[in-house]
Amino acid sequence: MVTMAIAKQTLEDMLRRKVLLILLIVAVAMIALGPSVGFLSPRESSAVLRSLGLAVILIAGLLITILAGIQVIPTEIERRTIYTVLSKPVQRYEFVLGKFLGGLFTVFVMIAAMGIVFLGVLFYQEKHPAPEMIMGVVMTFFQMMLLGAMAIFFSTFATPVVNFFLSFGIFIVGNMSVVTESLTKNPNPGTRIVAMIVHVLLPNFGNFNIQNKLIHPEVQITNENVFIIQNIVYAIIYSAALLIGAIIVFDRREV
Amino acid sequence: MAAAIVTQGLTKTYLDVWNKAEIVAVDHLDLQVEEGEIFGFLGRNGAGKTTTIKMLLGLIFPSAGTGTVLGKPLGDIEAKSRVSYLPENPYFYESMSGWDVLDFYARLFRLREPERSQRVQKALEEVRLDPKAWKRPLRGYSKGMLQRIGVAQALINDPQLLFLDEPTSGLDPIAHAELRDIIANVGRQGKTVFLSSHQLPDVELVCSRVAIIHRGKLLATGKIGELTAGEKVEIRADGVRNGVIKQIEDLVGPVEHSDGRLRIPSVDEEKVSDLIDLVRSVKGRILAVVPHKRTLEEVFVDVVMKEGVA
Repeated sequence: MVTMAIAKQTLEDMLRRKVLLILLIVAVAMIALGPSVGFLSPRESSAVLRSLGLAVILIAGLLITILAGIQVIPTEIERRTIYTVLSKPVQRYEFVLGKFLGGLFTVFVMIAAMGIVFLGVLFYQEKHPAPEMIMGVVMTFFQMMLLGAMAIFFSTFATPVVNFFLSFGIFIVGNMSVVTESLTKNPNPGTRIVAMIVHVLLPNFGNFNIQNKLIHPEVQITNENVFIIQNIVYAIIYSAALLIGAIIVFDRREV
Repeated sequence: MAAAIVTQGLTKTYLDVWNKAEIVAVDHLDLQVEEGEIFGFLGRNGAGKTTTIKMLLGLIFPSAGTGTVLGKPLGDIEAKSRVSYLPENPYFYESMSGWDVLDFYARLFRLREPERSQRVQKALEEVRLDPKAWKRPLRGYSKGMLQRIGVAQALINDPQLLFLDEPTSGLDPIAHAELRDIIANVGRQGKTVFLSSHQLPDVELVCSRVAIIHRGKLLATGKIGELTAGEKVEIRADGVRNGVIKQIEDLVGPVEHSDGRLRIPSVDEEKVSDLIDLVRSVKGRILAVVPHKRTLEEVFVDVVMKEGVA
């Protein structure tokens, strides 16, 4: 009950943040304007729209997640609202989980809004529903869940500015998992060890990008459902580990 | 009567920015606050008052020493359900209405409907917030209204013990007086109030006991009446013949007298008995013996100045 009360309050607070709303409006506008790219053939136009839509959802989702994730806990400390919350019978883990869930609900609402517009525009363009694209949006959401958990973890000990660059940087490196994986076979032992550490420790964000398959149906992934479920489970387990870390750090933190 | 708060050697130290020198915010604080009393916790800015309250609430952790709140260790969740806190210059979620903010805090106490709504309404009525403002966003509230919301959130769980940190700071005189009355009313309900304040006249009016803290050290503690009681008295007498005035002046120094009436503004307590004997020896009449009483402010300044002001 306490965790959900904090999550609800966080969601309501986040949905009133102008910067997040502006990001959402810009993203929705970009998706909605997709069909106006009219100089391409119908097949190319459809691929561009699918690519543009998922890319916009990813970029807007990324910015919304990082901005929400780096702010939810430090803002409470900065405004000193945390004093009136933690002086009540609230366990610190309930506070961390409530803040994470509030941020996650925010990201969910925003990605869902963009996703609905995207699917609507796609239907308008292609004259038939494209349910397979839902999976692309869902994967983006789970990717953002993992990123959000990471931002919450860093926010328990780092300043928002440091957290922004850390989360963003790790997201970029984590998206290059193909590169880091190839570096683990490098002949140089130093490079191999560093690449191994980076590849194993950092979240593998690259696996959530299933756009190629969705945009170019001719690309085949063996056992696609298993691949998707594996990644969702990976996101949940990794996020849980990050949240446990966040709770351990925050439990010892003075506010 | 059981103790609501006990601290033993409670200490909080911080390291400076270079992580070398130790800054002692609270220094071996031994304190006992009884249940049902309104206890004033006095000190200058930076004396360690807020740090002490934060340690008692488990928001920060002591570097040394121990303490209990309502018989439980510091930061205990069960104790927190019977405690409340109004921080100095509180900030609330300004996009929420007064009602919604209190509803949120009530949820943190795991209160369910319909009790939750009843508690919210009761708290808002208790702090006398205009019902027209209950459903308005806090961003439109005045400082006084926000402070009432602060007190209301501190009353939402019907606490046994309230920590109030500078509750009247920055309020206009009317809001100030009203809030002071609310605090006094809370005390009349038998709740324990730990009131940290600079407003010494308020403390003198509402508190039964005080502690004075300076540079983290406890300098004085006791009942207000005991701390403010002076060691001198004023004596007024009638029918005192001129013949005895010289003897009286030898005993207590210069006096005011005319037509047999005598006024001695300041007499040491140990000389009172001899003086009364002298007046009576000439068939004079003692009209009044008035003990000198200091204000709490005078006591505070005296205690702090003796320690040295920095």
